[in-house]
Amino acid sequence: MKKVTAFILLGLLFLANFNFAASAQSKTEVLIRNATVLTAAKGTLENADILIQNGKIAKLGKSLKASANAQIIDASGKFVSPGIIDCHSHSMLDAINEFSYSVTSMTNVRDVLNPRDITIYRALAGGVTAGNLLHGSANAIGGQNTVVKFKWGRPVEDFPISDAPPGIKFALGENPKRTHVQVQAGQTPRYPRTRMGTMEVIRDAFSRARDYKRAWDDYRAKKTKLPPRRDLELEPLVEILEGKRLVHAHGYRSDEHLNLLLIADEFGFKIATLQHGLEAYKIAPEIAKRGTGVSIFVDSWSYKLEAYDAIPYNAAILWKNGVVVSINSDSDERMRRLNLDAAKVMKYGGVPEEEALKMVTLNAARQLGIDRRTGSVETGKDADLVIWNAHPFSVYARPEITMIEGEIFFDRTKDIARRAEIERERQELEKLDVNKPSGAGATQPRIPAEKRMEERDEAEFGDGGNR
Amino acid sequence: MKIRSRLFALGAFILLCVCAAAAQTRTDVYAITNARIVTAAGAPIEKGTVVVRDGLIEAVGAAARVPADARVLDGTGLTVYPGFIDALTNLGLQTAPARPAGGGGGQPAQPQQPPQSNSNYPNGLQPEVAAFEQLKAGDAQFETNRNAGFTTALTVSRDGVFNGQSALINLAGNSVSEMVVKTPFAEHFTFRTVPGAYPASLLGTFSAFRQMLLDAQRLQEIERAYAANPRGMRRPEMDKSLEALFPVINGSLPVVFNANTEREIVRALDLAKEFKLNAIIAGGQDAWKVAPRLKQQNVAVLLSLNFPRRTAAVSTEADPEDMETLRFRAETPKGAARLALAGVRFAFQSGGLTNLGDFFANAARATENGLAPEAAIRAMTIAPAQIFGVDNRLGTIETGKIANLTVVRGDVFGKDRTVTHVFVDGRLFEQKERPRPPVATQTGVTTPALAQVGGNYSITIEIPGQPVTGTLALTQQGAALSGTISTQATGTAPIKDGKVTSDGFSFQASVDYSGSQIEITVTGKVAGNQISGTIDSPQGAIPFTGTKNP
Repeated sequence: MKKVTAFILLGLLFLANFNFAASAQSKTEVLIRNATVLTAAKGTLENADILIQNGKIAKLGKSLKASANAQIIDASGKFVSPGIIDCHSHSMLDAINEFSYSVTSMTNVRDVLNPRDITIYRALAGGVTAGNLLHGSANAIGGQNTVVKFKWGRPVEDFPISDAPPGIKFALGENPKRTHVQVQAGQTPRYPRTRMGTMEVIRDAFSRARDYKRAWDDYRAKKTKLPPRRDLELEPLVEILEGKRLVHAHGYRSDEHLNLLLIADEFGFKIATLQHGLEAYKIAPEIAKRGTGVSIFVDSWSYKLEAYDAIPYNAAILWKNGVVVSINSDSDERMRRLNLDAAKVMKYGGVPEEEALKMVTLNAARQLGIDRRTGSVETGKDADLVIWNAHPFSVYARPEITMIEGEIFFDRTKDIARRAEIERERQELEKLDVNKPSGAGATQPRIPAEKRMEERDEAEFGDGGNR
Repeated sequence: MKIRSRLFALGAFILLCVCAAAAQTRTDVYAITNARIVTAAGAPIEKGTVVVRDGLIEAVGAAARVPADARVLDGTGLTVYPGFIDALTNLGLQTAPARPAGGGGGQPAQPQQPPQSNSNYPNGLQPEVAAFEQLKAGDAQFETNRNAGFTTALTVSRDGVFNGQSALINLAGNSVSEMVVKTPFAEHFTFRTVPGAYPASLLGTFSAFRQMLLDAQRLQEIERAYAANPRGMRRPEMDKSLEALFPVINGSLPVVFNANTEREIVRALDLAKEFKLNAIIAGGQDAWKVAPRLKQQNVAVLLSLNFPRRTAAVSTEADPEDMETLRFRAETPKGAARLALAGVRFAFQSGGLTNLGDFFANAARATENGLAPEAAIRAMTIAPAQIFGVDNRLGTIETGKIANLTVVRGDVFGKDRTVTHVFVDGRLFEQKERPRPPVATQTGVTTPALAQVGGNYSITIEIPGQPVTGTLALTQQGAALSGTISTQATGTAPIKDGKVTSDGFSFQASVDYSGSQIEITVTGKVAGNQISGTIDSPQGAIPFTGTKNP
């Protein structure tokens, strides 16, 4: 969604930045008492306890006992849901698009993660515990993704989920055909310039990948003497052919998404998710048949020509056809309100409550291949949980505590208590010579933060960078 | 008649004496006596003598004998240090002139400044570029830095993703060959892009680096196989750029990663681990945050003394600055002490400082923030010499070492420090004592000659990962400067408060950036048709370079 160059330059993204490190929880046992638990798998449990041991949900039931040194959280009158998982995000990324080529499968967003991006903390404050960090949509075949848990305050290597299957971004439609690196004098704009060109680029890439795989197979079978050149562009594509890498394909029009499914059939691989897929309802049976998931915006459309045929019943229709549906944000800001986006599918098409909740939790986990460890409140799973003050589908709901693997990464009470402390630190820091403004002359006022945020979002929509 | 012959005899006698005296005092033998000597190899000598002969240190000590043929310099009130080393600069290397902004149109292709290369890789991805080949002896910058007290510098271009191979040079000599102490020292790498090509983003920077290292490994294997037995094997295609990476992947040539922020440093350390590189971090102002990892991977830091400070003026309607920025400025001067405490090897570098006096002032700030003064001296003498592997020749005042000395009136970390003498390879460069700054009430204040700054310049602003090009249009009237600054990113803005000094200029501007006004302060130096300096913004200082358009 972001236009990457604009945000790297001069680091203007720096907003008022509270960087409280999450206090490490040394306790290995946590007991959440007397909550209404929305399991997102096995219904709603009233007045239930959750016992967490070593970061995992150990027991789920009534009147559970914990050891003497366990941390007890009284959740009477409160709701517990699984941590929300955003299946399409560009948070934490210092670069989003490698514009130069139409196939940039050699790039990997893991290289450019920023573990101090304030959006991580804000996501936690919105109950989001995990995200699918994707390359942008400037390329028919984009870069490799990383699935992370938002462990704010931790070093970067703690973020990626180690056993999440690797993935990659594909993109169809307007974005890949109109994007090119800034064209220098005498240069031709990047190929492809049409939707059919995009399909050709993908088919060509997989033809090359198939040849590459054959070259290595021949070498391993000792049919050739010299090892083939290792090609970082083709290696991930071979992994796709071998079913080891998940394809997340950005696109809007159903004809294009269907075309991609047919190419995948032709080369014998599977598309893990259609991303956005605002017209996916038109090809719901074809999608369901292939076991492909769809990750959508719930009710956002008409921001570009190819987003005109969207309907808010998309999720419901796909769900009725047996497609695994998730609702994503593709936005640092909307990410914090995914609970309300899930609520909307109850209104449009009458999706049952638990199925709606799954669309921002378990279904996203299934699409990302991490459902064995997270996405629902079930024994044996990671304790990635949100304690809400109200039902998460209420507009009055807000997370009070967000925990990942039993460790509290957001605590609203502590956040509020820390604000005074941070204000004091700010005042101390501002007194230092290095932080004092130079000269006394007034300069033109900078645009206040709120307006700037708004413009930033407009810029995201307006330039159509990735969306 | 008699008188005349006597006069003649007297004249001959005097002439004889003068000749004898000349034979006694050779120009390349010096003795600095009665000086405080900070040897950087043990405790300082409070009062002693250093003898320099033939480019080397002949003797040092409290009781060192002054040779009869030495020119004696009375060092009373002076301190002799090992010649100071700037651990990373681009001295003597001009940045390629800014490229015009792209955007198609019918513009004729601009000729590329770097000479045509037969490399398979574009400009910016050519690790074989060697600073040694680009340097010119007698560059005015050498003199400027020498006068500031530096005898030695590691220099490499700031252009490109691969900045190329650096050279460690002494800052005097009739030829570059004479100046060189070690070349190449290392391959230098910056997390940035190649304008208009691949890599166009930081993502691509990583993948391009990886692919080149893998290709270099493969080429090396094939070349070895071919050398062993060429019969029946196709001749491998030679590749100058990949071949330049052989010593990198073999670990014999260090890779200096320009990495200032914590995450850049972590990325560099990850790459070093992945490819078993002999890595060094340059910049490193956040390095203290990852000190245990640096220690564990035994990675040294060329620590920038270009400390950040706020340059934006006050405005009631402005956003408060973010805490990360406020903290960064407060913590950076403490970084050196923290690295020392953690046992991480580090050396000081100027980091693009335009005022070299700030190098010592900021080193002094590091000592005020917990770094032992001896450690600070080591960080600009023996510590860089060790990192560069030349500590058997440089970095301390010990017998037999290269006679690089910096002589200072007072203490180098004192406020009234004056560099009085600099020895480079035993050659003396004497400084005229700087006149005390004229007191305002004094009459007859002398005004120094002003630099000639006016003109149009193509500039490159070295934002890491995203160099930005633009133009400066400057009009000079006496010491006042007016004009505009324009870049692709900010459009055109008028300059304010423009001043011309004896060797440079400064101005401020309020530029529009993505709908926000940011205040920048630009300070630069002029050398011929080249300018270089720093743009200070609320986000920190960014170096820029430029060339005057004819």
